[in-house]
Amino acid sequence: MLSFLAGRLTMGFLTIFVTTILVTLLIHLVPGDPVQIMYAQSQGTTPEQMEEVRKSLGLDKSIPVQYAMFIGRLLEGDLGNTIRGGQPVLDVILQRLPNTLVLAVAAMAIAILIGVPIGFFAAYKQGTIWDVTLMITAIAGISMPHFWLGLILLFYFAVDLGWLPVSGGGPLNLVLPALTLGLSNAAIFARLTRSSMIDVLSQDFVQTAIAKGLPKKLVLRRHVLRAGLIPIITMMGLQFAFMMGGAIVVENIFSWNGVGRMAVEAIFQRDYPIIQGFILTFAVVVVFVSIMLDAVYAFIDPRIRRSQT
Amino acid sequence: MSGSATSMPHRSSEPVQAKHGFWRRLVRTPNGFVGLLIVAVLIVCAFGADFLAPYNPTKMGSGPRFLPPGGTYLLGTDEFGRDMLSRILYGSRLTLLIGAVAVGISLTIGMLLGMVAAYCRGWIETVLMRSSDILFSFTETLIALSCVAVLGPSLQNAVLAVAIAGIPFYARTCYSASLVEVSKPYFEASIAAGAGPFRMVFHHLLPNVLPTMIVVATLGVSTAILAAAGLSFLGLGAQPPTPEWGYMLAGSRDYINRAPWLMTIPGVAIAITVLGFNLLGDGFRTALDPKERDR
Repeated sequence: MLSFLAGRLTMGFLTIFVTTILVTLLIHLVPGDPVQIMYAQSQGTTPEQMEEVRKSLGLDKSIPVQYAMFIGRLLEGDLGNTIRGGQPVLDVILQRLPNTLVLAVAAMAIAILIGVPIGFFAAYKQGTIWDVTLMITAIAGISMPHFWLGLILLFYFAVDLGWLPVSGGGPLNLVLPALTLGLSNAAIFARLTRSSMIDVLSQDFVQTAIAKGLPKKLVLRRHVLRAGLIPIITMMGLQFAFMMGGAIVVENIFSWNGVGRMAVEAIFQRDYPIIQGFILTFAVVVVFVSIMLDAVYAFIDPRIRRSQT
Repeated sequence: MSGSATSMPHRSSEPVQAKHGFWRRLVRTPNGFVGLLIVAVLIVCAFGADFLAPYNPTKMGSGPRFLPPGGTYLLGTDEFGRDMLSRILYGSRLTLLIGAVAVGISLTIGMLLGMVAAYCRGWIETVLMRSSDILFSFTETLIALSCVAVLGPSLQNAVLAVAIAGIPFYARTCYSASLVEVSKPYFEASIAAGAGPFRMVFHHLLPNVLPTMIVVATLGVSTAILAAAGLSFLGLGAQPPTPEWGYMLAGSRDYINRAPWLMTIPGVAIAITVLGFNLLGDGFRTALDPKERDR
């Protein structure tokens, strides 16, 4: 179990290390002069000011030196300052990150609570009209763009019925974005669960358990559900990353004040320090969550828990 | 992907028969049939937009503003009096082009990387697959967003961004499909017979991983279309007055009360298109491998 976790941890560090390199290179990949592009929208910037920015971003140095500077500042918890407003990037991100995490976790909960039971039921009723109907619904759900689902929910619940607020930051405002993100991922969970459960249902130990006369409910709960959930937990890390990615779009529909909305605004304003900070934060969150889930997985799966090495 | 076509990679009458049976099997699966139908209609719309569209898709004031669907303007008009039907028809051309170009680029590069990694093994394999694992864990949305941040918002850049974002996925899939082939006896036999690396990869590996990759790529078209529409929805892709569906949806938000059809129609168009490719991909998978039918 320890060597399994050590491997995952190494991979996580490697991921973040690669991200820091990519993030440093990002600004150099911009076609043209990044400083000029950043200030293209504000007219009154003098060449001297631009030179100063160039220096403060370290763009006058060689790329390895810049990378070393970036890492040095990063270790001190400094992600640089925003181009517009000059606030510390880390503060701006930390202020909004909780909103995105709340949204992603709420959406994840909705997706699991709806998707897993549906997938399990469909697997149990495999080949019947129930199964077919549910799976057609699931494939339609996957095909539905989440930004469209968001608009529809916005139209019916916020505009037409007036039950929920259109935008803002309160707990009621969380309902629609979380539902948007959760529902579109519930379909993915339903399909995953179904195929995982069908795999387990056809295995010998399940057939044996039924053949030796155990009650069907017991077999389903003890044997099928437990074994079938393991592949789903391994997929959850990736699903969480998808949620974070989806949050970028959904936050923009509902004006939810998270890092995704911040990132899109930063792209329009060419505020590269924010974009760099955002990508790094995203990577750290995704790596952290997937390592946590790996730990859970390692603990749940006896094959890994009891492995000696 | 087992089937007779894959276990017999050499020229004989068998692959032809298998191909014939393939289309018959595809049409017999409900998913494949409906998917094929939807995609066929889309292709007709895309190619025939010039003849089918009753009005100019970008000309403002070709009709009154905010006309509800029905009558001469079958799908109504938008905030500039542009005919929605014409915009949707031209949008289908754009959408199919976006899907084809994005998937074409990421499939080609991804397959090359995956096959090379599986064939070369050693450090090349480690470097290629580890880096695509790392990029894959970032999710396509983040990679695409980063690319747009670097390149700047435009439809071309959005397509390029979606294409780059898809590479790790195709590389991984092609790699695992290639590993299966590399371990088969015919592969070693061909190397023993003196086939060079180029011949091994393009003559033996490529035809055998292609069926799997076609399934994955068909499903990938829907992912690419969704991703590109998402970028346009955020304003990072297609710019006005392009009749792109994602961009049209974004614009509809301001008139959600007054003209809900502006929101419904492009949304339905995207959903049906994506559904079509998802169903077709499912159908391909079942038709290629009858064992998968129950999955």
